[in-house]
Amino acid sequence: MQKIEFAQIQETLFYEKLPNGLHVYILPKQGFSKTYATFTTKYGSVDNTFQVPGKEKISVPDGIAHFLEHKMFEQPSGEDVFQEFSRQGASANAFTSFTRTAYLFSCTDHVDKNLTTLLDFVQSPHFTDENVEKEKGIIGQEIRMYDDNPDWRSYFGLIEAMYQKHPVKIDIAGTVESIAQINKELLYTCYETFYHPSNMLLFVVGAVDPERTMTLIRENQAAKKFEQQAEIVRFFDEEPDEVAQPLNEMKLSVGISKCLFGFKEGKAWTQVEGEAALKQELATQIVLEALVGPATELYQSLYDEGLIDDNFGFDYSLESGFGFSMMGGDTPNPDRLLERIREELPKKIDQGISQDTFDRIRKKKIGSNLRYLNSPEWIANQFTSYQFKGVDLFRIIPMLEELTLADVNERMKEHIDWSRFAVSLVRPLG
Amino acid sequence: MANNHFETVSIGNIQVHVLPSTKFKTTTFVAYIGQELKPETVTKTALLPAVLQRGTQSTPTTIELKRKLDDLYGAILFGDVSKRGERHLMEFGLEIANERYLQDKPALLEEGLSFFTEVLFAPATEGNGFKASYVEAEKKNLKQKIESLQDDKIRYAAQRMVEEMCKGEPYALFNHGRLADLEQLGATELYTYYQDVIRTCPIDLYCVGNVSTEQVVELLRDRLASQATGQRKTYTLAPVVREVKEEKVVVDRLNVKQGKLNIGCRTQTEITSNDYPALVVYNGILGGFPHSKLFRNVREKASLAYYCSSRLESLKGLLMIQSGIEIGNFQRAVDIIKEQLEAMRQGRIDQQELEQTKATLTNAYKEQQDRSYELIHFHHQSVLAGQERTLEQMLQAIQRVSIEDVVRVAQKVQLDTIYFLRD
Repeated sequence: MQKIEFAQIQETLFYEKLPNGLHVYILPKQGFSKTYATFTTKYGSVDNTFQVPGKEKISVPDGIAHFLEHKMFEQPSGEDVFQEFSRQGASANAFTSFTRTAYLFSCTDHVDKNLTTLLDFVQSPHFTDENVEKEKGIIGQEIRMYDDNPDWRSYFGLIEAMYQKHPVKIDIAGTVESIAQINKELLYTCYETFYHPSNMLLFVVGAVDPERTMTLIRENQAAKKFEQQAEIVRFFDEEPDEVAQPLNEMKLSVGISKCLFGFKEGKAWTQVEGEAALKQELATQIVLEALVGPATELYQSLYDEGLIDDNFGFDYSLESGFGFSMMGGDTPNPDRLLERIREELPKKIDQGISQDTFDRIRKKKIGSNLRYLNSPEWIANQFTSYQFKGVDLFRIIPMLEELTLADVNERMKEHIDWSRFAVSLVRPLG
Repeated sequence: MANNHFETVSIGNIQVHVLPSTKFKTTTFVAYIGQELKPETVTKTALLPAVLQRGTQSTPTTIELKRKLDDLYGAILFGDVSKRGERHLMEFGLEIANERYLQDKPALLEEGLSFFTEVLFAPATEGNGFKASYVEAEKKNLKQKIESLQDDKIRYAAQRMVEEMCKGEPYALFNHGRLADLEQLGATELYTYYQDVIRTCPIDLYCVGNVSTEQVVELLRDRLASQATGQRKTYTLAPVVREVKEEKVVVDRLNVKQGKLNIGCRTQTEITSNDYPALVVYNGILGGFPHSKLFRNVREKASLAYYCSSRLESLKGLLMIQSGIEIGNFQRAVDIIKEQLEAMRQGRIDQQELEQTKATLTNAYKEQQDRSYELIHFHHQSVLAGQERTLEQMLQAIQRVSIEDVVRVAQKVQLDTIYFLRD
């Protein structure tokens, strides 16, 4: 077991790669009552075309990674695993993103039992024709719930506007029609491809003793048999740099328009990994903060003009194969808001970001990072997501300290490319 | 169990509660200012937190205020209103990095506390009022906030259900206020109201972090001196017992893809009652968790919904059930939910459900200790109830609850209103 110390933030991380390929990380949190654990596979909604080593290339129905996540809770005994977690006083859950499926629990007691339950249920699938059919009704209602959520619709609307080919444009839960095609055989195929320990990461954070916990995990895994697995091959169609459509507009039952806009990352900048990816991500976040953050003249004037309100936000996503910035929120006049953005951003890009602004934002980001480190959930989820792209979460503060003004100004020029600009607009009905 | 007890010190008529803890890398300050929930003040109270966050005497423009926060290592400032029973609470918070984790150890505790009290007590003004431009802009924002309630159909349905169920009671009011009041509300009137609020409403100030109580109280003493004199109102509990004469069914129509079903019940049990821990267990068995009756029967057995749960509004004695269903399944869902309420009344509860609920509730309460805001929230609940119940007392009380206790509580619960939002 490796021990990695981070002196400035006063945290210690323990790591071991098990013989079956599973990556295990443990972060003890002094004074905490709870333990939070995530068991995550590098498999999400975008992994829809792949090749099982030694078999033929296949494409699977939209929404299957998420469907599989739901069905993992089913047990051979007929009892769903929530029951067992509840008996052990744990709160369990799972989620599926574009690139990951995570199973998790938090508890303040019976950590060993809960950890064992987590490892065992994710490593023993039990799908039947009957339980697969039954889930279609439940997931159908989950899809309907998102259909009624205008924030989700406008978020996805922007991704659809940006992407022509890449499966990131497909809704994570799929559609009622696509999930109708899912059966237990397909679920097993996906499971066997992506749930091998070598494609997974276990993160435990909180009130644990690292030695004891690692021993438990090691023994649990050693008692199970896994065939050696060759590398999984994933296929993605070539994604052009151009956006699919500059404007994606829809009408929904809302009281006020929703307007999201952003820049699609050019291909060259979606192939980065490790330190380069972290640097690009942090630099882009600083760029967005400098352009449209709450402490900018632009934000304040848009706010005073009543074009934005305090739910205006911005974010940057970067994964292998896709990346984009996203800005916006509710607005009574989206056309005027977009006009102002198109007018003002080029001026700011010409001027460049000043040293003062850069220093202020960097300070802000360092402070925010300390705040996030209070959250076991954030640590486990963010660490895993970063690790899957070869990035080290605990390098954020040092990287922020290393970044220079020149890096950030350079990044701004790369990212703000109006030929890759797209808008998603939700307007009120009638 | 780690120490999770706040030390309370009165500075004049303001209560200061401090919890020194080494586990957080930030220091959190929260202030609660409690107004009565009533039609005459609901909109003014809702508007105040937004206006106070626009500028202070030392940072009169919003841009200066935001830059100040960034310079304090990205301190987070927030302010909002919430409805707790028939109290309309203003909640303000400031969370700031603890300097011991920074390379250049700036005096962030003092600066943060100083700025926080300035936001509360020394706002930017002009003439005899707040800055008029801030008030006008925030009125517009509040109007949008009220109008955009219908964008989130789940929240909209929950609010509509409460409006119908509690018609004529203060609790029916929306915490963000009423559109009709906004038009004529001016900067001077709002400022006069603000001065009255900070002079007469109860104020509780919290601090959680790697600090000492003496240090925090010392820093606050001078800063609070001018505010902390005179008499403040005290918290009283909303009436909870209310006999249901007949079950109401209300149907609203909007353009929705999924029907939102909300059912409101009166528990007839006060938060201060000896039956309250049994009510908490009751809610857990009925609909608080994935092992609960609602989740198992509505979702897992009947496949009718993705979510179906219940929650308590403890300070008003309400129990609310919510689910999202296919519109055609309304009657089936209502029938299954009613069967579960009946099963609770009849005592069709097995030992496993009771034990699972106690274990998950215990866990949920203990987990609160790892979040500064939840520690504060839990303590302030006692302040609002006017009766302290510590975490340890609550945990012990839950352990003692028997199936008979749950049934006794169940028999008091009355279904009041069935609300359905459909296309």
